[in-house]
Amino acid sequence: MADVKKQENDQVLQWVTFQLENETYGVDVMVVKEVLKFQDIAPVPGAPGYVMGIINIRGTVISVINTRCRFGLPDREPDDNTRIVIIEIGQHIIGIVVDSVAEVVYLKRSEIETPPQVNKDDSARFIQGVCHRDDQLLILVELDKLLSEEELSELDH
Amino acid sequence: MSFFDDEEILEDFLVEAGEILEQLSEQLVQLEKQPEDKNLLNAIFRGFHTVKGGAGFLQLTPMVDCCHVTENLFDNLRNGKRQVTPELMDIVLQALDAVNNMFAQIKERMPPEPASDELLQALQVLANGDDLAGKGTQAHDLSVASRATANDAVAAEADSGSDDMTDEEFDQLLAALDSADFESEAENRASAPVESAAGADDEITDDEFEALLDQLQGASADQEPSADQEPSAGKEPSANKEPSAGKEPSADKEPAAKSSDDITEDEFEALLDQLQSGSKTSPESADAPPDTPKPVLKAESDPGATQAPNAASSSTPNAAPGPAAIDQAPVAETTVRVDTRRLDDIMNMVGELVLVRNRLVRIGSTAADEMLSKAVANLDVVTADLQTSVMKTRMQPIKKVFGRFPRVVRDLARSLKKDVVLELHGEDTDLDKNLVEALADPLVHLVRNAVDHGIETPDKREAGGKPRQGTILLAAEQEGDHILLTISDDGNGMDPDMLRGKAVEKGLMDRDAADRLSNSECFDLIFAPGFSTKTEVSDVSGRGVGMDVVKTKITQLNGSVFIDSKPGEGTRIEIKVPLTLAIMPTLMILVGDQAFALPLASVSEIFNLDLNGTHVVDGQQVVTVRDKALPLFHLRRWLTNNAPHGSSEQGTEANVVIVSVGAQRVGFVVDTLIGQEEVVIKPLGRMLHGTPGMAGATITGDGRIAVILDVPGLLKRYAA
Repeated sequence: MADVKKQENDQVLQWVTFQLENETYGVDVMVVKEVLKFQDIAPVPGAPGYVMGIINIRGTVISVINTRCRFGLPDREPDDNTRIVIIEIGQHIIGIVVDSVAEVVYLKRSEIETPPQVNKDDSARFIQGVCHRDDQLLILVELDKLLSEEELSELDH
Repeated sequence: MSFFDDEEILEDFLVEAGEILEQLSEQLVQLEKQPEDKNLLNAIFRGFHTVKGGAGFLQLTPMVDCCHVTENLFDNLRNGKRQVTPELMDIVLQALDAVNNMFAQIKERMPPEPASDELLQALQVLANGDDLAGKGTQAHDLSVASRATANDAVAAEADSGSDDMTDEEFDQLLAALDSADFESEAENRASAPVESAAGADDEITDDEFEALLDQLQGASADQEPSADQEPSAGKEPSANKEPSAGKEPSADKEPAAKSSDDITEDEFEALLDQLQSGSKTSPESADAPPDTPKPVLKAESDPGATQAPNAASSSTPNAAPGPAAIDQAPVAETTVRVDTRRLDDIMNMVGELVLVRNRLVRIGSTAADEMLSKAVANLDVVTADLQTSVMKTRMQPIKKVFGRFPRVVRDLARSLKKDVVLELHGEDTDLDKNLVEALADPLVHLVRNAVDHGIETPDKREAGGKPRQGTILLAAEQEGDHILLTISDDGNGMDPDMLRGKAVEKGLMDRDAADRLSNSECFDLIFAPGFSTKTEVSDVSGRGVGMDVVKTKITQLNGSVFIDSKPGEGTRIEIKVPLTLAIMPTLMILVGDQAFALPLASVSEIFNLDLNGTHVVDGQQVVTVRDKALPLFHLRRWLTNNAPHGSSEQGTEANVVIVSVGAQRVGFVVDTLIGQEEVVIKPLGRMLHGTPGMAGATITGDGRIAVILDVPGLLKRYAA
């Protein structure tokens, strides 16, 4: 009985997956506005370290976040696969730099597991859940947190 | 809050009433100068009436009360039952302040506080026309003393009933008085106008009033049907209906449309008054050349040409209100209220278009294709036109700010017992909406200063051989790509030596430094924080906090202030601000391989410098420019994080940009100068907003991003 109910509630969610270092991450497709090839990012002197700078998308100036820095990963030179994913959270539009963007996957809500409670790892703070697919671990990122945490650290600056 | 449940209507009310209240303050001050101006009185009456109507609909009772008595007062004024006196104006202006206060509270979505009882009572007393009643009884007393008791009884009645006495009641009272002693001479004098007024009253029956109301509503809902009805209305008490109907849509469109309740006694009173005044004035104004209304009416009556002769003959005595009504009608139809955000969006898109054009122009100049370059040149022109048009939609006449000054000057002059006249020039000069708003406070401050510090007392002026009345001139004009605002007075001016002494006294500088200051530098001292030349502090000025705020504010707007003053002759303050805040002229520079934009307003000069010619004073590299040592900063060290000290920039030659921040000037060493460019300012996102030294970003002609530097912020962040 409980199983049936669970299945009824089992929403299918779509996630855009991207690569960072050797891991695959996913973000909710609804917040992704577009995916751009890497372009020159104009640095803003005095900006917080995780903000790489600003880019121009059809007349709108958008701040770009260094996701590697955010997730505590070593920096890496951009290559042909590097992408800027433009996401919209609430009223705010920001760009995040990722190594590459792979695909859109469909996940049932029941497939998502809560993240393992690891220590205060940099990357762990933004993780909403994990999912095993094709022997791979897909890490689902909670973008709201990415931004709100930023605000916190912005206060620290 | 149930108080403001209909947000949409409230918004409309706020916009409309806000405009009317602004106009009212201007009109009231003007009224003091031209107390006999009927049109002005009518306009003020209508203003209060419209605000009252809107407030009544939203059940803002305190506002309605205050407007109502004021409106009654003006009703009497425009009927000639009272004269405008300065004392009366004080009360009326207080009433306007009270209404403005309530308006501000409503804006904050707070229930308005009622006006003070004293104010309402004062207004009520004035509105009741007590003076007139007093005159009437006095006249009788003089002529027929024996009837004093009867008159007193009636007068007492008038007093006791004064709270809610309307015009009609008052007229009846007078009529009663008159019939009681119709033999006396005094009666003749007192009742002559009253009788004619009463006669006008009689001409309107209830049915006619109904008809009029219908017509009015029809007129305000849709103007064309009203034209059709015109002839029938024109038949009756003839002359006066047409103009009053014509006027109504402009004056009362809002209450009439929103609530039929509002067209009740007040409306009726208004109508009666128009009729009365019309019939009273008709003998004089009938002399007016009958051909004046005809062209006017032709313009009005396109839909119903048949009406023209009819109305023309009927409306001859009231030529004056006609044009006013017609002036307003087309305006109401051709203007549209647009949210500024939408305009900003359009502006943004046009900015994009400009960038695309710039890119095309570049491509067009490299490709040797005649067709292409022609098309690009065409696009160039069209885009420029489009940009100006869009800019113009954001423009507002500076009248919006200037409008409040007559009132400011009047009040201040009265409280300081000075005689000051304010002249306004160039009120129609257009500038960006944001600028209009941002300029209001600094200008108010400067004008107050001119009245308080500048203009002397009448006695002193006379002693100095000047007319007793001081003059303050407030002028605005467009000068190329910026607006020049001038505030000049013919007061006692500023004495540079006195300022020097003051600066030493306040410890701002030592005697030697003060003596070295040029006169204009002395005048700039008044912008220093805490600098006040007034020995005693008043509630008007003298605390020395104002002028530095003025300066800061103007600088924020990329503007500049210049003072010129001659002791005994007056002071002249010039303010220059750009036409718009959306587009900023900048100097593009390269630091490393990144482009930055320096606001051109802060750049004072550019030169090539031999770095060997610099000195180090107190650990700070300085450069000497025309005998002045200016600190020199390397932007590369500030704006790029990977430039080791004393690396590549230590060539022998360097480009130096001298920027001024307030009175301070510093030099920036930059890698490359690109040139002057007009840029559209884009805000940095929320994450980067408030980054010290960065004012925004812009997109250059080649589609790249340049960060716009905020020079004061930059110095604060890095040079400290």
